[in-house]
Amino acid sequence: MGLFFHVGKYYELMLKVFTKPEKRIMYYRQTVREMEALGLNSVGIVLIISVFMGAVITLQTAYNTENPFLPSYLIGLGCRDSMILEFSSTMVALILAGKVGSNIASELGTMRVTEQIDALEIMGVNSASYLILPKIIACILVFPLLTLFSMVVGVAGGWLAVVFTRVITPTDFIYGIQYAFIPFYITYSVIKMVVFAFLITSISSYYGYYSYGGSLEVGVSSTRAVVHSSVFILLFNVILTQLILS
Amino acid sequence: MIEVVHVSKHFSNETVLKDITVTFERGKTNLVIGQSGSGKTVLLKCIVGLLEVDEGDIIYDGVVFNKLNFKDKKSIRKEIGMLFQGGALFDSLTVEENIIYPMDMFTRMTTEEKKERANFCLKRVNMENSNHLYPDELSGGMKKRVAIARAIALNPKYLFCDEPNSGLDPKTSIVIDKLILELTEEFNMTTIVNTHDMNSVMEIGSKVVFIANGMKCWEGTNREILHSDNQVLNDFIFANSLAKHVKNTIKN
Repeated sequence: MGLFFHVGKYYELMLKVFTKPEKRIMYYRQTVREMEALGLNSVGIVLIISVFMGAVITLQTAYNTENPFLPSYLIGLGCRDSMILEFSSTMVALILAGKVGSNIASELGTMRVTEQIDALEIMGVNSASYLILPKIIACILVFPLLTLFSMVVGVAGGWLAVVFTRVITPTDFIYGIQYAFIPFYITYSVIKMVVFAFLITSISSYYGYYSYGGSLEVGVSSTRAVVHSSVFILLFNVILTQLILS
Repeated sequence: MIEVVHVSKHFSNETVLKDITVTFERGKTNLVIGQSGSGKTVLLKCIVGLLEVDEGDIIYDGVVFNKLNFKDKKSIRKEIGMLFQGGALFDSLTVEENIIYPMDMFTRMTTEEKKERANFCLKRVNMENSNHLYPDELSGGMKKRVAIARAIALNPKYLFCDEPNSGLDPKTSIVIDKLILELTEEFNMTTIVNTHDMNSVMEIGSKVVFIANGMKCWEGTNREILHSDNQVLNDFIFANSLAKHVKNTIKN
């Protein structure tokens, strides 16, 4: 019952969101603002976790494959493919669900409980569309770029780990990251991130937009937004992998 | 003119408004009074369309508002200004941007014209030179005045105020009341004010509607309240001993 209620309400909200904008220039300006607030402001965290994750993947692979029959350049290949296939899309999406998802839910929730959304409605503005559509567009445009950025700095993190620890030679690592490269994996990862970006923004917006009560309820909405976004990211990761790579 | 005709509203099994019929006239400050939980905020939200009525009609100058579709409702909403209890100013925008926002959204005015209009509205509410302040830098009374400035930015035909004096000291309350009265007369608006404040009732209530338990119990002018024999109304208005004393003095 609760599930169908939420699915119906979410669908109804999305119908309101995807309507013709009242004034395109206002939506355009809002989208640019959101690209900065939700996308560019996440570059730092993506950089830090990607570098360290790339380094850890490289070290883990190196310490767990000390076999003379396995060529050492496979460590570079492992780092590259782990970053491209899974980490830079799914893991980064989970982290962005925490950062961006809670940001969106708490922002919209606060606007709801302080009657700012009502004020927009009274003015005759389609508040759902004006507040949510620019966030969805901004995230769909910026998150795939963050994925590409994460791939580059993640592999760079692996290289740094190799340079500092000498688990293999940097030359072998560089050879490994170029070996048997399949460009479609990048496309696959970007497609996944586009879907994840939509899930994060729309689910978080749903919980924020329909918040009620006071600060406590806004906190609850924010937590629900992160938890449900994360669950749907994991679910769609399986579905998309089966659809795209099978 | 706004007419509320046989309006009822229920939440789950609870009836919040029961068959309310009342007319709010243009150029007058119409006050809706009643205890907390009596249904006056729900009535106001039904009138502006934030809540759907279950029965009855809301009529804006002959147009049945609650039966319009979203697009047609928008054209009437552009003529509505509303002052919310907490001001409901947009946190991320400055005072000037808050006032310019409806103009940005619905007009083709140039930047200069919009700034000029914003300055006019701010001057009208005695808030000049606050253009670049953010809402969190303003006091409660200042927020209300900026919210009024935003509400009148597009020259609305209808002005709604939900508890405009809540959280304000008596002196600031009088300033806000006076402002609402002046603007109503100046722009010939249909103004509806929800309030608990008896000073407001006596100062600006050219028409007063008293609601108790979701029903309209009494309506009249602020002067008529003093002579009313309605027991429920008298219990509410003359609740404290000083007010009771005044009432008895008038009676005798």
